[in-house]
Amino acid sequence: MKWLEKYKVDLPNLNKESDYPEWAISMTSTLLNRTGSWRTFRPVYENKTPPCSYRCPVHEKIPIYCDYLKRGMIKEAYFTIIENNPFPAITGRVCYHPCELECNRKDYDETLSIHNIERYIGDWGLKQVSVKELRKQSAEKSKGSQQKLKIAIIGSGPAGMTAAFYLACEGHTVTVYERQAKLGGLLRYGIPAYRLPKKILDNEINRLKLLGVNFQTGVSLGKDITLSMLKEKFDYVIIAYGAHKNRALGVPGDDAIGVLSGLEFLAQVNSGRKPKLGKRVLIIGGGNTAIDAARVALRLKRKPVILYRRSRNEMPANPQEVSDCEKEGIKIEFLVAPVKVVTNKKGKVVGLEVVKMKLGKPDASGRRAPVPIPNSNYIINCDTIITAIGEQVDLSIIPDELEKTSWGIAAGEDGQTNLDRVYAIGDCVSGPKTVTEAIAMGRKAAMNIMNKNDVQVFSPYIVKISDLNLSYFSHQPQTKAKELSLSARKGSFKEIHLGFSENESIKEAERCFSCGVCNKCDNCYVFCPDLAVIRDNYEYEIDYDFCKGCGVCAYECPRKAITMIEDSQIIEDNSKE
Amino acid sequence: MKKVVTGNHAVSYGVKLARAQVIAAYPITPQTQVVELLSEFCASGKLNAKFIKVESEHSAMAACIAASASGARAFTATSAHGLALMHEMLHWAVGARTPVVMANINRAMGPGWSVWTDQNDSLAQRDVGWIQIYCESNQEVLDTTIQAFKIAERVLLPVMLILDAFVLSHTSEPVDIPDQEQVDEFLPPYNLKTKLDVNNPRAYGGLTNPDHYFELRYKIQKAHTEALAVIKEIDEEYKKHFGRQYGLVEPYRCDDAKVILVTSGTITSTARLVIDEMRDEGRKVGLLKYRVFRPTPREILRDILYRAQKVCVIDRNISFGHGGIFAQEIKSVLYGLPASPPVYSFIIGLGGRDVTPKDIREIIEYTYKEETPAEPVIYRGVRL
Amino acid sequence: MNIKMESRNFTIPEKEYMFPGHVACPGCGGALAMRLVLKALGEKTIVVIPACCWTIIDGPFPMHSLHVPVYHTAFETAAVAASGIKAALEIQGKKDITVLAWAGDGGTLDIGIQSLSGVAERNDDIIYACYDNEAYMNTGIQRSSATPKGAWTTTTPVGNPKGEPKKNISEIMISHRIPYVATATLAYPDDLINKFRKAQQIKGTKFIHIFAPCPTGWKMAPELMITICRLAVLTNIFPLYECENGVKYTINIVPEKPIPVREYLKLQGRFSHLQEKDIEQIQKTVDFEFNLLLKKAQLIV
Ligand SMILES: Cc1cc2nc3c(=O)[nH]c(=O)nc-3n(C[C@H](O)[C@H](O)[C@H](O)COP(=O)(O)OP(=O)(O)OC[C@H]3O[C@@H](n4cnc5c(N)ncnc54)[C@H](O)[C@@H]3O)c2cc1C
Ligand SMILES: Cc1ncc(C[n+]2csc(CCOP(=O)(O)OP(=O)(O)O)c2C)c(N)n1
Ligand code: SF4
Ligand code: SF4
Ligand code: SF4
Ligand SMILES: [Mg+2]
Repeated sequence: MKWLEKYKVDLPNLNKESDYPEWAISMTSTLLNRTGSWRTFRPVYENKTPPCSYRCPVHEKIPIYCDYLKRGMIKEAYFTIIENNPFPAITGRVCYHPCELECNRKDYDETLSIHNIERYIGDWGLKQVSVKELRKQSAEKSKGSQQKLKIAIIGSGPAGMTAAFYLACEGHTVTVYERQAKLGGLLRYGIPAYRLPKKILDNEINRLKLLGVNFQTGVSLGKDITLSMLKEKFDYVIIAYGAHKNRALGVPGDDAIGVLSGLEFLAQVNSGRKPKLGKRVLIIGGGNTAIDAARVALRLKRKPVILYRRSRNEMPANPQEVSDCEKEGIKIEFLVAPVKVVTNKKGKVVGLEVVKMKLGKPDASGRRAPVPIPNSNYIINCDTIITAIGEQVDLSIIPDELEKTSWGIAAGEDGQTNLDRVYAIGDCVSGPKTVTEAIAMGRKAAMNIMNKNDVQVFSPYIVKISDLNLSYFSHQPQTKAKELSLSARKGSFKEIHLGFSENESIKEAERCFSCGVCNKCDNCYVFCPDLAVIRDNYEYEIDYDFCKGCGVCAYECPRKAITMIEDSQIIEDNSKE
Repeated sequence: MKKVVTGNHAVSYGVKLARAQVIAAYPITPQTQVVELLSEFCASGKLNAKFIKVESEHSAMAACIAASASGARAFTATSAHGLALMHEMLHWAVGARTPVVMANINRAMGPGWSVWTDQNDSLAQRDVGWIQIYCESNQEVLDTTIQAFKIAERVLLPVMLILDAFVLSHTSEPVDIPDQEQVDEFLPPYNLKTKLDVNNPRAYGGLTNPDHYFELRYKIQKAHTEALAVIKEIDEEYKKHFGRQYGLVEPYRCDDAKVILVTSGTITSTARLVIDEMRDEGRKVGLLKYRVFRPTPREILRDILYRAQKVCVIDRNISFGHGGIFAQEIKSVLYGLPASPPVYSFIIGLGGRDVTPKDIREIIEYTYKEETPAEPVIYRGVRL
Repeated sequence: MNIKMESRNFTIPEKEYMFPGHVACPGCGGALAMRLVLKALGEKTIVVIPACCWTIIDGPFPMHSLHVPVYHTAFETAAVAASGIKAALEIQGKKDITVLAWAGDGGTLDIGIQSLSGVAERNDDIIYACYDNEAYMNTGIQRSSATPKGAWTTTTPVGNPKGEPKKNISEIMISHRIPYVATATLAYPDDLINKFRKAQQIKGTKFIHIFAPCPTGWKMAPELMITICRLAVLTNIFPLYECENGVKYTINIVPEKPIPVREYLKLQGRFSHLQEKDIEQIQKTVDFEFNLLLKKAQLIV
């Protein structure tokens, strides 16, 4: 409560002699002085966006769940995450955590290990939070009853799963059509088990089932069903079939026996089949598919070598994955490009002719384009060639009237296509991207269909390290998660990264600066010389009757959760109203 | 109980009987015996008081005022340089309306250093707002000490009682020291209405801007005006309890006097003898003992002096550049009366030089004789 | 998105004993100091304030900014007025009231040092807090003996800045062998509060020296107030320490790697005229003094 709400003060009458005390003995308090009128700048509580959240494709409120976690409020932490991302157990493992690239702590000591914290909370939630609680939580969030909708989703990858999750939580009828026998899209058929154990994915999918999502496997769009069929049966259709079309090498012999598509190779392994591999395996490409294919080949006791036509800097694969891959003993040859597949008489691969490359001027992607060095050709002997030079969206299976871009289906921010009641999300819109981006799109589409506001970042202002008052922090090295030893990885698909224990995750969460997000540290309240910061329960407010605008609160806020604004601006604003 | 005591000890006994609660004092000749005896009283438990043995008179007064504002009966004693050092705090005591009681032993100011009596120390503090009472005898000293607390606490003004160095302070006289119960009956415990109290958190004496300062000063002056009646009333009450009374001033054989001599302090005793002598000779002379100096007992002074043809005033003090301070006061009191008597001003006995009956007689004779004073201020006994 | 629980950096007591509307300048360290100290001491406290900025801050009659009694007194009498109040309370049987003398550096190191020394020598039972803003601020930024060497004030103008080092009042008080002397500052509110609470439990004279920046007099941005306090400690310009009974020293913060004094000086306009060699000299003095303190605390031999 503000001071003048709590106390009523009057100036005493001092007219008659008897009104006066014997000497200068006070009769009232200085509450009569509205010293707020001295102010030219005023502090305003205003949470700002931490760079981690901003960079996170789903804008997870990282400081907030870190805060809950360290107070032992893990359930709150979990629900905070799933407001933005329903599958933290998955993203905690496979998201390339761009958040950590931007974490302000990286310029102080080491970045916060956000993904490990997320993963810990995700695993806990997957085990501990019942479907009933999920429903209850979203019922609390969604005000009033909504008309129940029927939605068809094509594809059970992370994009489709996410849309299904949010819609099902709110009681809408969701049917997912999946071409494959099993669910999960690239989470199942692309990403190998040593990075994402199938058990985790199964559990997430199981929970979707418990939420009432109806899965129809072995049903292909363009073959078994058409868009117009679905549009008739459902209120909305969400297309989320990913980008799976393999790009051929485009050199002579690229269809020889022993040339495999990376995605197919991974799909086979991931579905328990044993693809035929020669002894010497070459993998062409510099993306994640190439890296995973090589690591899978290694686990199948082959000696894979990766060939990439540019240098390490240009590799699209996640650097962490690349380094993990090299740690396991896989060689990457840079600046070589295939020229021709060398086959034997039976048409089987025996080698690959390559040419050495050098880097030229930057190309359209901004990366320096590789240029062949004349007369540097040579042949590498091999038995199997796995191509992983990029996947594409198969645009042949959708009707013409659905608008497209040069790389996929055209859809807006919210997932809406040009066709009424038809949404498109995930890789099939963006081309091959990431799990978390697919999740972001899935959530946006679901929210849009339900006519709900999507989660937002705190403010347009992104907090830099120079905005922080670092006096309130101390150096603390990053908590390192355990890993499977290199020897134990040999020939095994066991999970490599082992995540945090409870203590480790709390210890790491404590490192979070909570950039831009008030965590009730009390500094503003403690340091106000004018008692103008009112703290009621756990809420703070500025009492502008008395705030002189010294700015101490804003300056001592460790995390820039207070902004100083010129006061005249506010007065002007008020007059506008 | 009769006891032969010095003037200083008379103060101490008075303070003990008044049950002072906080004493803060710093030694200075000729005041030392006051605090020495009080220290003994405190040490032996005869007096239940906190004696703060401060490091200066300034602090003594600061402590007394603070104690008084906190509800304790406070006392200090000093003299000359000590009083001068207190000056700032003398104002404070008045502004804070704290009924502190102080004995000042009139001593000349240095340099050159002098421990002997004159009145310049206390009279230099004329305008700070203290009630000032000049005493003539050790009995009066004791009685005034007791009265002073009652007066001060009634009007919320500090009271300074003043006695001459050595002539009183160190001179023993028989003094009737009243019983404690009697004094307790006369002087109730100190009870300040608004005092420093954690249950009533107020600020005392803070910044006071022109919109209120004047009013508060006015109230001080008003208290002084009211104090005259209060002093009189308490004096009469004192008589009822103890059989002694002193008045605001004491006229002596003034009834038909043509010349009235005005004195203060111990010179009065000497003058009394001279007046008796001259009366015996048939001369119409009278004596006025100026006892309560502040507040000025204007009406009674006028009443008595108006009837005389001439007034002579003895000042054992000097306001440099002007003259005798008592004379100045008397003149101002008489000012504006139609045909007021002329005032002959004599300065005498500075720095403790003896004032003899002969001196006094000659002063009266001079006044008698001369149509007008030769000088506005006549210096008696100066060898230059 | 609300967080239900706080993660407070400090554990200062909830209750306020001060009202806003007081008339300290924006960002006044002295104002915050009072607020925090009263939180430590609680409602059974009487505050004695001599002439200083706090005379003004408390508000003009008939107003008052504290929720405890305040006794305003003359410039040089804070300590002894507190003694007088304490004596009066004791003789009236009120033994549980803390009397706090609250004076500026001028009222403490200069004009009030005599009565303070008297009180300390008698070991009168009061807490004496000096909020040190390193000059006479009330009267318009004149030098005091607490003004650091090299600083500008209106009586030590640029071209002739103060040539003498700051008087070490804490050491002077320690030499009185009083039971408790401590230094404190606002960037460390828990430490400050603990020290006052500790002082409250001790009988005798307790002296606490509070470093309390004055944005106005130091020509600095008011929002830097706390930061300046912190820098004062982390540069060793104003070490936080305690001394019990004149002998037992405890240094509360020994910076692992002290921040160069330059970082402290450069934020304040009163030092803006300093040259590189002056700053080096100040650094040397600060290092020397801190080393001396370490020795006293027997942290080095
Ligand atoms: C080997 C590999 C590793 C990767 N590793 C990571 C990683 O570590 N982190 C990361 O963030 N991203 C990674 N990615 C990228 C990520 O997997 C994808 O961006 C993400 O899965 C896209 O999700 P989606 O839901 O849009 O599509 P998908 O996951 O591709 O799911 C699409 C689903 O639609 C189904 N489908 C396709 N056609 C039809 C049809 N006609 N009818 C019905 N269903 C159909 C598919 O079978 C599939 O189940 C990796 C990709 C690959 C290839
Ligand atoms: C005897 C006396 N001399 C001078 C003054 C004028 N005066 C009032 S406050 C003050 C300076 C106070 O300085 P300090 O004690 O450091 O407190 P600050 O104002 O800096 O808070 C001065 C010189 C006074 N009030 N009394
Ligand atoms: S410190 Fe915390 S809030 Fe700040 S960027 Fe890093 S993870 Fe985000
Ligand atoms: S100082 Fe602390 S409590 Fe205040 S706004 Fe900043 S983070 Fe929140
Ligand atoms: S001048 Fe300085 S000490 Fe005084 S009120 Fe202003 S900021 Fe505070
Ligand atoms: Mg000062």
